Amino acid sequence: MSLQTVTSLPASAPTRSKGTRFRLASASWALPAVLFLLMFLIAPLVANAFRSVTLGEAALHPLAYYEKLLLDSYYSGIFFTTFKVSLITTLCTLVLGYPVAYFMVRYAGRWNALILFCMIAPLLTSIIMRTFGWRVLLARRGLINVWLTDSGIVSRPLDIINDPLVVYIGLVHVMAPFMVLSITAVLQGVDVRLEESARVLGANRWRTFFHITLPLSLDGIATGCMLVFVITNGSFLTMLLLGGGKVQTLSLLIYQQFNLTQDVGFAAAMGNVLLISAMACVALQARFVRRRGVKA
Amino acid sequence: MTVPRVNPPRRRQRPDLMAWGLGIWVVVFMTFLLFPIAAVVVVSFSSATYIAFPMPGLSLRWYARIFEYRPFIDSLIVSLQIAIGSAALGILFGVPAALWVARSRTSAAALIGNLLLAPISVPAIVLGFSLLYLLSAIGIGISFAALLISHTVVAIPYISRTVLAVYRALPPDFEEAASVLGATRRQTLYHTTLPLIRPGIFAGSLFAVLISLDNLPLSFFFGTAQSNTLPVVMLSYMQSQFDPSIAAISTVQMLIAVTALLILNATYGIDRLTAA
Amino acid sequence: MVSVPLSLRGISKSFGTVQALKPLSLDVEAGEMIALLGPSGCGKTTTLRSIAGFEQPDTGAIYIGPHDVTELPPNLRNLGMVFQNYSLFPHMSVGENVAFGLKMRGIARADRESRARDLLKLVRLGDFADREIHQLSGGQQQRVALARALVTDPKILLLDEPLGALDKNLRESMQFELRAIQRRLGITSILVTHDQEEALTMSDRVAVMSAGEIVQIGAPAEVYEKPVNRFVADFLGTANIFSGSALAPEADGSWRVALAGTERVEARITTNKALVAGECVTFAVRPERLLIGPPDGPGLTARVRDVVYRGPFLTYELDAAGRTTPLFVYGQARTPVPVSSAVRLTWEPGCAVLLEAHP
Repeated sequence: MSLQTVTSLPASAPTRSKGTRFRLASASWALPAVLFLLMFLIAPLVANAFRSVTLGEAALHPLAYYEKLLLDSYYSGIFFTTFKVSLITTLCTLVLGYPVAYFMVRYAGRWNALILFCMIAPLLTSIIMRTFGWRVLLARRGLINVWLTDSGIVSRPLDIINDPLVVYIGLVHVMAPFMVLSITAVLQGVDVRLEESARVLGANRWRTFFHITLPLSLDGIATGCMLVFVITNGSFLTMLLLGGGKVQTLSLLIYQQFNLTQDVGFAAAMGNVLLISAMACVALQARFVRRRGVKA
Repeated sequence: MTVPRVNPPRRRQRPDLMAWGLGIWVVVFMTFLLFPIAAVVVVSFSSATYIAFPMPGLSLRWYARIFEYRPFIDSLIVSLQIAIGSAALGILFGVPAALWVARSRTSAAALIGNLLLAPISVPAIVLGFSLLYLLSAIGIGISFAALLISHTVVAIPYISRTVLAVYRALPPDFEEAASVLGATRRQTLYHTTLPLIRPGIFAGSLFAVLISLDNLPLSFFFGTAQSNTLPVVMLSYMQSQFDPSIAAISTVQMLIAVTALLILNATYGIDRLTAA
Repeated sequence: MVSVPLSLRGISKSFGTVQALKPLSLDVEAGEMIALLGPSGCGKTTTLRSIAGFEQPDTGAIYIGPHDVTELPPNLRNLGMVFQNYSLFPHMSVGENVAFGLKMRGIARADRESRARDLLKLVRLGDFADREIHQLSGGQQQRVALARALVTDPKILLLDEPLGALDKNLRESMQFELRAIQRRLGITSILVTHDQEEALTMSDRVAVMSAGEIVQIGAPAEVYEKPVNRFVADFLGTANIFSGSALAPEADGSWRVALAGTERVEARITTNKALVAGECVTFAVRPERLLIGPPDGPGLTARVRDVVYRGPFLTYELDAAGRTTPLFVYGQARTPVPVSSAVRLTWEPGCAVLLEAHP
């Protein structure tokens, strides 16, 4: 390319096109991902929703399955249980996990890496392994029962393994790292000098926590709660393997339905309800976090 | 009391009760987290054919069983293949898209950004059987390919999320400097951008691989006799037999993941990765 | 308000193997503003944080008035503190921030709000009570931080590099304003800064610190004009360092010295130490005290290497005989001396200060 010879410079600056900011990627770079997800995420879910109002009983009455789910006492009982389990798990992980997160951010220092590793290590193991571990501990001849009978605290082994409480223990065990890590991510951004300011102004440790630290970490709490709630909603392994099947949630029902019946429309409707509840939680979190607008 | 003239003697440090209290709680918590896992590892060395304490003796027979019972090893290999394969595809799809979304301010970009992150919000079991019907309808059905596709759908958001975070935090100065120095777009991408966002790609891939290895609800629908993932095999084994071989295969799987994480920590550091 | 004095007795602090503070004692008079001045790592921030209660000293005690507060937690010491980046609570309004100290004391809402408003008026932000923190400029945030610190009528005011984040003009006006408020309230104050100009402008006394101890403490003029050693001379402003050998004392207590170098030039230096003839001496002269004279006059031979326009004055960089480092002189902009001129340097009597002497 040869340079054009310029005999005289233009009197005024030539106009240039707008938006000449440098950008590496162009829109076409996103195309493969978009097509892939449209095909294998959006399409299946849309088809699923469609099936739930056209197949089986829904062929005659589109909302048949949804009515069944919402109005039948058996199914509304399952909704209630699902909601209850998720809520209790969320609250437990929050109360048990927040102090751990606070310690990690404010006090741990060089132990932080070790605690972090212990937090992440369970996530590296299969959920089957962890659930199996609880069975090992709590079975009739599991470790806990053996210790209890050997030390004479009880005369016969306890039937813990079939108690619904075990399901909560298992869920909290699985979900706790998610909650702790969500909170630490936000808590790290809360400047320790804000807490020091409050102390100089006369607040003792508890008041500093309630007036300063807690409000400023609300984003992390919200994120953690939503995360735990949604994941618990969708989990069924813990309910399947622990608690003797006494805790019946929606996900577990879908799993069982799929194994047993061929009622595609019904399974589709249940799945849709689960999906909608998950989307609702995500939307709620997005609204809540954005509205606070607190910059850490 | 008046201010003394001479210096007071050395003092003892007040113990910080709050720090000690919290510290004790953290130790209890970590014990709670690790105890069941430790129990499984211990049981894997039991010589008994059932789960019972105290253990009659130690033995490696259950580790040998991993190789005897073909589905264990086969499904472990399939799981690893799917995990790494889906992560690779996730990078291929997710990274370019994330690079565009991060710097673009149009509403289309925001929408596509949400699309990239959407699969995380969908309960795996719902995605599983929805995808099963679609894939059957287009002829892929139950197969290795179906497994790969479904795991890739889940891998994309994990990779996109971390790449988005890392790339957004990167000032555009680096790429502009490369451009001024004469680099083409492709050169800028390979020599400047990719090296700088590498921690984000690794962190996201690590998450994607770990999630994939443990993903039962999704894989459950696509299992064939030849290609099943490990969690599916483990679950069906567990429901028929309750012996320590589950413990052994779980321990092996855990060691693979822990080794991978230690290698990653040595090269990049965990703190930085979880921050992204 | 009744002012109280502050006393530190033998405060020391180590962090692991690093000794941040060697045993340090300090008496701050009631109503006085003392500046702790020094480079990073000299211990000034550790001292301030010990007074606040965030660091527990290994030895020693801290007295506010007659009370030993060393064992008290920060929230019981009734101090006011302005942090370097203000540390205003982002989730509260301006008014809520200022009233926070009163809230902690259980003061009723109406009383808190009116007192907060009084203090906001003091810092000239009377209408800002309902604003949000992120809406304020840096200077405004700084004033809110000050109002918040003063609302509880603290006995001691601690300032941790409060003006560091402001731009130059704002910093200068805030220096005057802060000082005026401090004087008006008569509150005993400690200012930590690495900016020597700030220390000289704002304080009654300056404590220059280095490596965990106070090297020199005195009124700004004293510390600036009569530094006790080379470190202080260098840290506060620019110092031209000369070496020579002591010759003989003069009647008024100053000493005649021979300047080192090829030229046999005699000079007079002030010293409060007893010197011995023949000792090697190091002394300093400030750039504004050196006078540039014509080349045929008395004084040290020098040549102008560079002239830098500084706005209110000029800085001359000169090479002089027998020296490897240049000399700096401040001069008037209206009578500039051209580059490469040969000149002679003298200084006003009493302006050369002894730093070190050894045999």
